[in-house]
Amino acid sequence: MQLICVSRGSFSAGKELAEKLAKKLDYPCLGREELIEEATRSGIPVGKLETAMIKPHQFTERLAREKAHFRAFMTKALCERALQGNLVYHGRTGHLLLPGVENIFRIRVIADMEYRIRSVMQRLRLDRDKSRQYIESVEEDRARWVREFYGVHWDEASQYDVILNTSQINLDNASAALCSMAQLPEFQLTPASRRALGDLLLGARVRLALAEDPRTADLEVKVRSDQRHITVTYLPQQRKAAELIPEVLKGLEGVEDFTCTPATTNVLWIEEQYSPDSESFHQVVEVASKWGAAVELLRFLPEDGPEVSPAEEEFVEQGADASALFSPPKSGSSTYNGGIEDDEPEGRPAEDDGGLAAATRELTRIGIAGGSRIIRGTQQKMLAMLDRTVPYSLLVVGSVFRSKGHAAQTRLTRELMSSLEEQLKAPAVSPQDLKAYLFTRRQLGQLIACLVATAILFWLVMTHQEPILRFLTPSGIPFKILAAVVLALFVSAFAYLYGTATSLFLKWLKFE
Amino acid sequence: MEETLSQMFISLDFWAAAQVVLLGFIGGTLSGFIGSGGAFFMTPGMMNLGVNGVVAVASNITHKFGKAMMGSKKHGEMGNVDRKLGVFLVLTSFLGIRLAVWINSRLFHMSGDSHGAAKGAAANLYISAVFVSVLSLVAISMLRDALRSRGAQGGSTPSRKLSQFLGRLRLYPLISFPVADVKVSLWILLLVGLATGYLAGTIGVGGFIGVPAMIYVFGVPTTVAAGTELYLAMFMGAFGALNYAYEGYVDIRLTLLLYLGSLLGLYLGVYGTKVVREVMIRIVTGVIILLCVASRGIAIPMYLRQLGWLSLDPSWDTYLNGASKVMLFASGITGAGIILFNVFRAYRQRSRVRASLAAVATA
Repeated sequence: MQLICVSRGSFSAGKELAEKLAKKLDYPCLGREELIEEATRSGIPVGKLETAMIKPHQFTERLAREKAHFRAFMTKALCERALQGNLVYHGRTGHLLLPGVENIFRIRVIADMEYRIRSVMQRLRLDRDKSRQYIESVEEDRARWVREFYGVHWDEASQYDVILNTSQINLDNASAALCSMAQLPEFQLTPASRRALGDLLLGARVRLALAEDPRTADLEVKVRSDQRHITVTYLPQQRKAAELIPEVLKGLEGVEDFTCTPATTNVLWIEEQYSPDSESFHQVVEVASKWGAAVELLRFLPEDGPEVSPAEEEFVEQGADASALFSPPKSGSSTYNGGIEDDEPEGRPAEDDGGLAAATRELTRIGIAGGSRIIRGTQQKMLAMLDRTVPYSLLVVGSVFRSKGHAAQTRLTRELMSSLEEQLKAPAVSPQDLKAYLFTRRQLGQLIACLVATAILFWLVMTHQEPILRFLTPSGIPFKILAAVVLALFVSAFAYLYGTATSLFLKWLKFE
Repeated sequence: MEETLSQMFISLDFWAAAQVVLLGFIGGTLSGFIGSGGAFFMTPGMMNLGVNGVVAVASNITHKFGKAMMGSKKHGEMGNVDRKLGVFLVLTSFLGIRLAVWINSRLFHMSGDSHGAAKGAAANLYISAVFVSVLSLVAISMLRDALRSRGAQGGSTPSRKLSQFLGRLRLYPLISFPVADVKVSLWILLLVGLATGYLAGTIGVGGFIGVPAMIYVFGVPTTVAAGTELYLAMFMGAFGALNYAYEGYVDIRLTLLLYLGSLLGLYLGVYGTKVVREVMIRIVTGVIILLCVASRGIAIPMYLRQLGWLSLDPSWDTYLNGASKVMLFASGITGAGIILFNVFRAYRQRSRVRASLAAVATA
């Protein structure tokens, strides 16, 4: 079973190449245009959405919901076709619709400007300058679309397995070369990839069902599916409408159980070992509760980290209604299996899941669970499997790379944090840094000091009103300047002291 | 208090002080919720307590300076401040403030006792007239915009027609602002800066011009406009405070009392914006501003009489002042009440939802 995604550069003959490749491999070929047509027929304003996404500052709340709707539609359509058998898809970075699905063959087709200008001149009968302008404008729009839709730059080479310049090679030879590459075991979908596709499909179906039901169409929700367990997060102010979610999902094909949780934002917490009794756990819970955030747990097992039993990876141990754990293929294992995995073992309870199930149960009990999963492999693999469109507000990186020495662990953790910050555009902190978001004893001292200082200044002014007012209304330029400067300094100091005291006081009341 | 001082500054007892703190709290709540100013409530509120218009403006602009300093620090940490844009606007706004201070001072000293006028009646009338005319426009356009976007299917993005039109004119030199991601003509920048400074100096509400101008005229994203406005307000406030302090109009007691209420209210108001729908925010804001405008409008005949431009029984002053005061407080308290009600309701709802989820998980 194989999925090939061809990302077409504008006027680079990507479509033709994808069709030739599909023909050679005898696979069905699906183009973005067909999906767009289906989406438009189903009522999604794709044209309006495209315009809004390529023009800055034109996005409305409604269009943001339509974007999520459209994304779910595209994901569903692509997953359904991919799960039916082999598929060649051509469009704009289609593989990014399927985060977490490994072994997709990702091809980017480009061409020299000269080749593309000639192509446009022939096709659209434009002169040379206009053709160049046209290509540049189309290219810019598409790049903006990809950046807005997936949060990545589409010309970033690391997004693809192969980049092919069609101005250097004819399409028959190019498709023959790609055909041979497609036979490689690295590009065959594994059972784990199929499972990930199944999860994405189910999540997309749920999102679509919510978008298409008039009762829930206006909800700002995030849907995550982990081994058929659905987690829907919604904004706290939409609680009333969110009560209808269970009704909408009841009877939806494939949905066995689900959790609805309110969240204004998401916190991603990466660890190797979780413990609901640890100080880190309490700190993360406290910060998330204050923010109304859902906490997503990601157990990251670096390539040469602790061994995980197959049962642990394949079987999902869940709490009362906790989220399932997603397990990607063991591509980081030392023994390469050619992409073919043994049959899945019969389900049995995991013996050691690094405390993940217990932590998830506890988060669910508190009402801030945002899903959980295990990723095993390299740092790059983990980063590739994260969905960049999820608006995380905080990334908490706990104790990872535990098998390394202290210095190496510190360095690797620091590197991981900066990569996460760069990719997910959110601050990454360690559990120790979380103290900055919490009310500490030091801050209590600071609050008391600021309040005392404020009270003294206030008392001084109120008990010496007349001399102070006289000092502030002097005659003579030097005294006037002195009065103005003293007043400005005094007011700044008072504002700083009282502002800090008020902010700390509200933080103490957990009212941020 | 000495006679010269008592002519300029009011005598403060406990109740007057408590009313100023309350004004600060309501103004701060509205300011945190609306995102600009709060002076539209505090300045007339103080005037209703008998504070001279120019002293009310001076004390408020001094208070605004410290508040903006704390606010812009927070916005700066979130990357919402375009410092380059702020610097360009601030330089021209200084001219506007200087002009406003000069006009206010001249008017304050101009009115005498020839018609039994209270000192400062001309300045009070001028400030009230600018207040009523500018804020009526702001409130009406805000309400129209909010009601339109409520009816429309497409959500509530600010219109870009004006910024696009000005962009097409290409009035050179054009200056590029990387944080806000816009290019703006220097001449338009100068005009907006001057208007913002003049209004900040006259009625203490430059933000009502600065923020919409940045959004609609320059095409700056809303969050950057709010952040940059606070950055600008910090400098304008400092400059205004220094100017008024130089002239001796700042009542430091009022400034400190305003702080006591406003900073607490400010944080609660900001929390309110997270739990109330944006259209509702604009409707509430528009209605509150309109009521404040009406409240100030009621007081105008009193100043006209004091200047001898209107024949009116002096005993009416009490009624007009009282009505203006009641209306202002009613509008401010109602607005702040709506905001605080939503804030605490959202807080309680969140706790209840979490508790019910916890109960489901335990079952």
